[in-house]
Amino acid sequence: MFKWSIIFENLPFLLAGAWTTLSLTVVSMIFATVAGLLVGLLNMFGGRVVGAVTRFYIEAVRGTPALLLVLLVYYALPIIGVNLPQFPAAAVSLAVCYAAYIAEVFRAAVESIPKGQSEAAFSLGMNRAQALRHVILPQTFRRVLPPLANEFAALIKDTSLVAFISMEDLLFKAKIIGARTYNIMSPLIGAALIYLIMTTPVMQWSRSLEKKVE
Amino acid sequence: MADGMTAQGKLLVVDDLHKSFGSLEVIKGVSFDMDFKERLVLMGPSGSGKSTLVRCINWIEPPSAGRVTFDGKLVESGKYDIRRLREDIGMVFQQFNVFPHLTALQNVALGPVVVKKTARKEAEAEAMELLAKVGLSHRADHKPAQMSGGEQQRVAIARALAMHPKLMLFDEPTSSIDVELIHEVLDVMVRLADEGMTMIVVTHEMGFAKEVADRVIFMDQGLIIESGSPCEVFEHPQQERTLSFLSKVLLA
Ligand SMILES: Nc1ncnc2c1ncn2[C@@H]1O[C@H](COP(=O)(O)OP(=O)(O)OP(=O)(O)O)[C@@H](O)[C@H]1O
Ligand SMILES: [Mg+2]
Repeated sequence: MFKWSIIFENLPFLLAGAWTTLSLTVVSMIFATVAGLLVGLLNMFGGRVVGAVTRFYIEAVRGTPALLLVLLVYYALPIIGVNLPQFPAAAVSLAVCYAAYIAEVFRAAVESIPKGQSEAAFSLGMNRAQALRHVILPQTFRRVLPPLANEFAALIKDTSLVAFISMEDLLFKAKIIGARTYNIMSPLIGAALIYLIMTTPVMQWSRSLEKKVE
Repeated sequence: MADGMTAQGKLLVVDDLHKSFGSLEVIKGVSFDMDFKERLVLMGPSGSGKSTLVRCINWIEPPSAGRVTFDGKLVESGKYDIRRLREDIGMVFQQFNVFPHLTALQNVALGPVVVKKTARKEAEAEAMELLAKVGLSHRADHKPAQMSGGEQQRVAIARALAMHPKLMLFDEPTSSIDVELIHEVLDVMVRLADEGMTMIVVTHEMGFAKEVADRVIFMDQGLIIESGSPCEVFEHPQQERTLSFLSKVLLA
């Protein structure tokens, strides 16, 4: 049976898991955003070979489960001598995964800027990097924020995959409580509420930004 | 026409220029040259290649064949690097293409700051002067979204002038502007011409052409079919196609 008391009694334990979830999300998101911007730009302007390589990476990630990447980094990389502790392994795999989605966010944003903008920049004598830096990217900023916020909310949820490498995130802590109290329902609902508290404001923010951009 | 000798003293020599998009040849061998301070008006029916020709001059569209000599230097030879060429040639677009994330002042100052590495203070002081020149001092801190089409286009002109170009290209600068605001932009262009700016203007504004142009070039289907003083071309066109086009423009 569902019991509030189980949630409240174990709240500090659950919140510790939520903290892990949140810090993992933030760290992964920062790396994913920087890498995604880079991959997106390389994909658009890196020339044929780089374009093809980055396209392959993007499609490969988008076409496979994120969980596979998490398991691969944690269990398979040690075989070739790369031993990463849990948190870095989790952050790396999630960043590699989300960078692919975020690269597409940046690509869509850059492509949505009218061609006349870069032509105007070029007509002043700017090179491609200058046009990107001073004319195109600043204009994409407002357009990428809503989809980036959506990716952030999705990432909060996807961090739960790290329970598979026994990392004690919010979901994993809830399962521990369930095993200890012989009541799995209550801590899971508690975890669900905490996930919602984290994702809802982000999604709301994204929605209000979207309205402003329009 | 464009051997080394005749190119002397010319600002721009375009020699047998061709431009194709895929298998579609849009410019089919165009030659003309321009003296310093000359004002050239380019006319012709829609799709005749006016925009493409103008965009080939500053390599926004790289020509498929032919030679462009600017200020005594052959462009493709590598003596003129393309970015330097574009610094020396200002361009004004039909759709303004002002930078929407920047104020009028920042729009005008950006080129000098980024390309010429002018100190920001200095660039903004000059941008302020240029905005005054196009009658927009009071709009310096406004973003394009808060401005009329006529105002945006004048910002675009000031932005191009900030690079101190030797030649200004205007591609239908008034076609996207409300009729009652067109004169704002034309006035600025007339003043620019009076100050001795060399310019190529694609326009169907007959009044402007008559007042300002030293020469009118008439294009059709990727070729120059007629060229002469405004009086010659407008009053005594030699080509049937020129005549029929002019009658349409005058009726419009
Ligand atoms: N980037 C492009 N790709 C393919 N075709 C193009 C491109 N740009 C122009 N064209 C074609 O080249 C031809 C000439 O176009 P251009 O814009 O130079 O004509 P224009 O004289 O400026 O016409 P308008 O008065 O309508 O502006 C048209 O048939 C047009 O469809
Ligand atoms: Mg045109």
